[in-house]
Amino acid sequence: MNDFNVIILTHDTLKAIGLRSIFEATFGISAYIADEHYINTFSTTKEPHLFFVDYTTLITNLGFFLPRKAKTVLLTNEHTPSDDFQTLCFNDSESDIINAINTFLTGGHEEEKNTTNSLSQREIEVLRLIASGKINKEIAQELNISINTVLSHRKNLTAKLGIKSISGLTFYAMMNGIV
Amino acid sequence: MTLINQDTKLCDIILQEPSTITVLDRFGISLGVGDMRIGDACHEHDIDVNFFTTILNTYINESYFPQTALLAFSASRIIDYLAKTNEYYERNVIPNIERHFAFLISKTPAQNNNLVLMRQFFDEVKTELVQRIEDDRNKWFPTIALNEMRSIGKMPNPVKDVEDINDPIEEKIDDLINMLIMHLKGDYDHNLGYAVITAIFSLKKDIKQNNRIRNRILMPISQALSQQ
Repeated sequence: MNDFNVIILTHDTLKAIGLRSIFEATFGISAYIADEHYINTFSTTKEPHLFFVDYTTLITNLGFFLPRKAKTVLLTNEHTPSDDFQTLCFNDSESDIINAINTFLTGGHEEEKNTTNSLSQREIEVLRLIASGKINKEIAQELNISINTVLSHRKNLTAKLGIKSISGLTFYAMMNGIV
Repeated sequence: MTLINQDTKLCDIILQEPSTITVLDRFGISLGVGDMRIGDACHEHDIDVNFFTTILNTYINESYFPQTALLAFSASRIIDYLAKTNEYYERNVIPNIERHFAFLISKTPAQNNNLVLMRQFFDEVKTELVQRIEDDRNKWFPTIALNEMRSIGKMPNPVKDVEDINDPIEEKIDDLINMLIMHLKGDYDHNLGYAVITAIFSLKKDIKQNNRIRNRILMPISQALSQQ
């Protein structure tokens, strides 16, 4: 979890420090307390995994947070259901807060995976067979699909991964624990 | 860039396309070119102007297909140029990438095995490239040189255009670059990572540009010679 990157943006310093200590003590994650200057100078090269923001910061920077809705958590003082953003309520008990954060962390992680590696289950199976040295005909037989379908999966794999060669695909499969 | 001719200044070529530094180097021209024009540089280094400009134009412009000028220079000259190119890969480019990779991996936490696998993939690319260089050196180039010697005094065959062929080595280098750009995970030294990818990019570019010289110049000449 060392490379997990959390940003806290709130005008309430004490709450920010409290939240940061929960991350450090309970989850072993370093959270960074930022001010609005952070958004103005934001660089996409190190895109954080989660943002915790107060209402004012969220509203004044909606253009920034809307595209990052899935990884933004609104900090509130009471349970006000929000259709747009996930919320974390400061008045909850410590264990409820920790549970909620835990959900954001795992949820956020999956979201990240889905956006960077959106291979379907079938494509993963085809990739696994390519990596184990099977030719198109054998893959078609094994998965009980037509050769054209295999070709179409291969085309999608190349388009999604940017990798054409069989050995490139094999190394990708090894890097991702598919074989 | 507009087509290069004997009046083009060497410095203008390098400023617009810095990768030509290595090409000029293969002709014995080093940096510190002043405002020398191609014609004068060729005279000084005893290089055929037509040959030199054809190589440079093919190297720089993807859409440039040399045709009429083809038979005006000998196959051995092109072989000589490409052999120097191969030597440059063997002695400089490949060891350079290996060095950068080794340094990057040595500074990367052991649990990140991504880079080790990418390095293994590079080893595979290297093996293929080295094999091709060996084949050039021991088979293709000597055959062309022999055919050229046999053709002396005979009417030259017409040189026909040959279509560019897909190069599996180029394809794998592209894959490696995409792996680094799209799929690298975990902690790594950013500066060293940049050095690795820049070195691979420069190999890719050089191979791609010299493949045009192989496919559009040497291949048609070699085919014409083999039919003598």
